[in-house]
Amino acid sequence: MKAAIIGVGQSPYTRRPESGQSAHTFIRDAVRAALADADISARDIDGMAVASFSLAPDTAVDLAWKLGLSLKWLLQDTNGGSSAMNMLGHALRGIETGAASVILVTAGDATGLAGYGKIAASYNIATRDHLAPLGHGGPNGVYALVTARQMKTYGLDKTDYGHMAIAQRAWAAGNPNAVYRAPLTMEEYLGAPMVADPLTRYDCVPVVAGAQAIILAHPERVPRGRPVVRVRAIRHSFNHDNQAGDGLKTGISTFADALWREAGVRPGDIDVACIYDDYPAMVLAQLADLGLIPNGDLKRFARVDIGERRFPLNTHGGMMSAGQPGGPAGGLNHISEAVLQLQDRAGARQVPNARLAVVTGYGMTMYRYGGTAAAAILERTA
Amino acid sequence: MTRGFTIFRCRNCGAALFPERLLCPRCHGADFAPERRDRGTVEEISTIRHMIGQTDWKPRVIANVRVAEDLHITVGLLDSSGPGDTIDLYEKAGAPFGVAHGASLPS
Repeated sequence: MKAAIIGVGQSPYTRRPESGQSAHTFIRDAVRAALADADISARDIDGMAVASFSLAPDTAVDLAWKLGLSLKWLLQDTNGGSSAMNMLGHALRGIETGAASVILVTAGDATGLAGYGKIAASYNIATRDHLAPLGHGGPNGVYALVTARQMKTYGLDKTDYGHMAIAQRAWAAGNPNAVYRAPLTMEEYLGAPMVADPLTRYDCVPVVAGAQAIILAHPERVPRGRPVVRVRAIRHSFNHDNQAGDGLKTGISTFADALWREAGVRPGDIDVACIYDDYPAMVLAQLADLGLIPNGDLKRFARVDIGERRFPLNTHGGMMSAGQPGGPAGGLNHISEAVLQLQDRAGARQVPNARLAVVTGYGMTMYRYGGTAAAAILERTA
Repeated sequence: MTRGFTIFRCRNCGAALFPERLLCPRCHGADFAPERRDRGTVEEISTIRHMIGQTDWKPRVIANVRVAEDLHITVGLLDSSGPGDTIDLYEKAGAPFGVAHGASLPS
């Protein structure tokens, strides 16, 4: 592909936004950081994609107006946890077809906990009419049932998920932007308050306010002296099974073979994995769908490969430790982390000689589980 | 709360669906018959002990319930029924609830 990710940026994250802070202001801060990182001016931007649950009633063009951007390519995405990947795919094609030359991809949210609760209860018509009246607890309740099913199917217990939460927290210690950086022990993990059985506090992605931005352009615009990061392959899936399955297979299962084939690499070649982590069970499901778990042995992979940090998973801490500023921005942070790792810019959490990364998105809980998924293989090319 | 719960059956291919669709995902037919289901089998449950943004939440139980050979729905459990149990289904404003087969609804 001819386009490269030439810059990444994020706003500070906060658990509780203060007066005067909004999705708009967090997005502004992330955009300024990405522009500085790419060493370009806002005037260079001629395309923009945005996703946010808390931008309304503004839309993408209002954001362009407020950022002073005059554009010839504009997109607003609604795919939640796979919005970032969806926008990445569209932006790549936007650059490659010449529809735009420098595209800003941004996302951010500042719903606050009460606002998030309202969104979760009215996520779509099915949720509003058939789940919320049950007191289903938003996505926590939905993925509690999926997790119970995964535990039963694969013989997993709570400690298997605990290894992931603990490992990601250990990675987060090396990320100054992560909201939660203090080490987490198995005792603390298992002793945490139950939220929706079998999910405890550390299984549920923490909602924060914040924003992320990345910038795509021709590789010639990558700042001097910095390796070029390109996307070798990217695939998407929407409504892969009409909610008729058990939720243990994501849409990634529909395209994984084609993704690896198109990228010309194998699962074993991957140096860093940035897997959308709203719930630990869905991380395991995506890893399995990608073929990254040998012999389909989820239990061993969770305990050994993830738990002992042999497999670099969500090295920024993932959303579970870095925080989830809405699914769209959380997904952009996964892409940003892959870029930083591949450019040897990840500081204390740097994976030595990282050359290939896999990034995923997963989201839009329609009724029984998520209906959107995407994955990409990113590479360091020079 | 009324006894039984309404799902939808594609008149063309017989697929059981809930919620109702615009087109059948199996045959893309557009003609559905409402079908009342009185019972289901609980497969997994979860007690929702915390609700985001609420401080005075009282725990509720939800369940993944098989109501037809090819259909699972999410049900609010009103008693201590658990995985493997057969429950009687009830409907309130389009939302499904359930209690152990033969048990009375809690007052």
